[in-house]
Amino acid sequence: MVKYLSEDWRKEVETRLSAQLSPDKMNNLTSSMNNLYLNCPDGNSHYFFVGFVDGKVDSVQVGEGEGPKAEFVISGEYETFAKISRAELGAQKALMGGLLKLKGNMVKALKLASLVDRLNKIIATIETEY
Amino acid sequence: MFDKTSPFYIDFPGRIKAIQAEMAKEKIDLYLGSRLRTMSWTTDAFFPWRSFIVIPAEGLPTAFTFVIDAARAADDSWLDEDHVMGFAPMGGQDQITQISDMIKDYLPHGGRVGVEAGMSNYLPEGYLTYYEYKAFEAALPDCTLVNAHPLVDRLQMIKDIGTINRFREASRIVDIGHEAVLAAIKNGGWKGMTETEIGGLAGYAMRKAGSTFEWSFTGGNEIAAGYRTGLAGGACTPASTKKVEAGEPLMVDIHALFGLCCGDHSHNYLIGPASERQRWHAKNFVDMVALTLKTYRAGISPSSLAAEMMDFAETRGFADFMVPGFEHGIGMLGDEWRIGKHDGPFPYWTDPDHEYVENEVLICAMQYACPDENIGFRYENPILLTKDGCEYMSKFPLGIEVIE
Repeated sequence: MVKYLSEDWRKEVETRLSAQLSPDKMNNLTSSMNNLYLNCPDGNSHYFFVGFVDGKVDSVQVGEGEGPKAEFVISGEYETFAKISRAELGAQKALMGGLLKLKGNMVKALKLASLVDRLNKIIATIETEY
Repeated sequence: MFDKTSPFYIDFPGRIKAIQAEMAKEKIDLYLGSRLRTMSWTTDAFFPWRSFIVIPAEGLPTAFTFVIDAARAADDSWLDEDHVMGFAPMGGQDQITQISDMIKDYLPHGGRVGVEAGMSNYLPEGYLTYYEYKAFEAALPDCTLVNAHPLVDRLQMIKDIGTINRFREASRIVDIGHEAVLAAIKNGGWKGMTETEIGGLAGYAMRKAGSTFEWSFTGGNEIAAGYRTGLAGGACTPASTKKVEAGEPLMVDIHALFGLCCGDHSHNYLIGPASERQRWHAKNFVDMVALTLKTYRAGISPSSLAAEMMDFAETRGFADFMVPGFEHGIGMLGDEWRIGKHDGPFPYWTDPDHEYVENEVLICAMQYACPDENIGFRYENPILLTKDGCEYMSKFPLGIEVIE
């Protein structure tokens, strides 16, 4: 069991994504996504950044603050993300209801929706303590 | 169209730079367009949904439209997919948030944002709504919203050669539509035909010839038969299911679109047998159109032309049947309403004293209506104003033929 958004969790994410997502599966995508967690249990904001180059996992980062610039930024309350990770809330419902805010080109985001699903499903397999 | 050697090429980056130069003169830091005419004129794509364009002080603009249509609009436009964004009802992706986020990126310390506010008789015009204005104002507390559409209107008035050639091509296509209608109605072909069928067959012929849309927002191809031709002021006759009948007039006003430029030509017929009185009305109208086309030139105004034409109608005894207006504005799709700027006696209506200039394109338009006799005619034709006259773009021969 690793702690959500901790360095151990980041390492596990990186390992599993690199092992399970081939460039082919990621449509040779070059893009980046940053999840911005507001009001985390420690009172601060945290981020989870993942970048792909030609479909390969290039960078997985976690930390305090806003994080590096990304093509897509999804921001919301920590609790909202945690509910999504625990499968108590759908990501789409959270977006449609305004609980999450997406910044980036929506048309490109639509094209990437299935890839993000693939990525999230792998991350969801990590035993995590919230 | 995007090939510089094409006769239909329009320098869209140049248009953006021209807007940016006008913005600088008026100390506008960013322009937020919302009118259909602004979208067409800046992007070269048709935006049927509520859409916006953000034009920064320098660099490329970004268009925003309903997400389901953004990829198509980008494909049609000279702008790439990074400059045609889609909005949707999602956190951060609704139009107000998405656009104001971009404006804040451009203007982190605030600034003057030009918007398009006003009114129009023309429904698809697209001025900012009260709700949108208040929402942008609330989302951009460091910015001042100022009405700035006149700067775009000024630039749109004089047509460049690519635009003029697109109008010429749209008119050529309309003439093919008229030929198809004439071929279909002659020799008794009109029997049993409805106005909608005539609109449809004209549309099919024009589409085959390259038209992309029977663009008129007044109902596509406007067809009127019998009493519907003579309705008072009747310059709006979306085709109905009324059948064409013997002894009645038939008005065929068809619209093609080519490269977002509009073909718009009306031709009239009398379905035989035609009475002497009907022929008298027809001759009045044809003579009036001929004189109007001869009179149009740079330097005159809508009011001076109307006065001259109504004098002619008076001397010939048919002034009672003429609607005293001889034009409507035209530009790329969405710009089909007033003439001139919006500084006439009634703001946002045609300025009667607007002085026409060379390379202005307008629709020479007039309406003849005699409701008591169930007869009327319409003429429309895009014209290019020149120093000494005008070029009428539809070449379908002027006349009101009796179809036996």
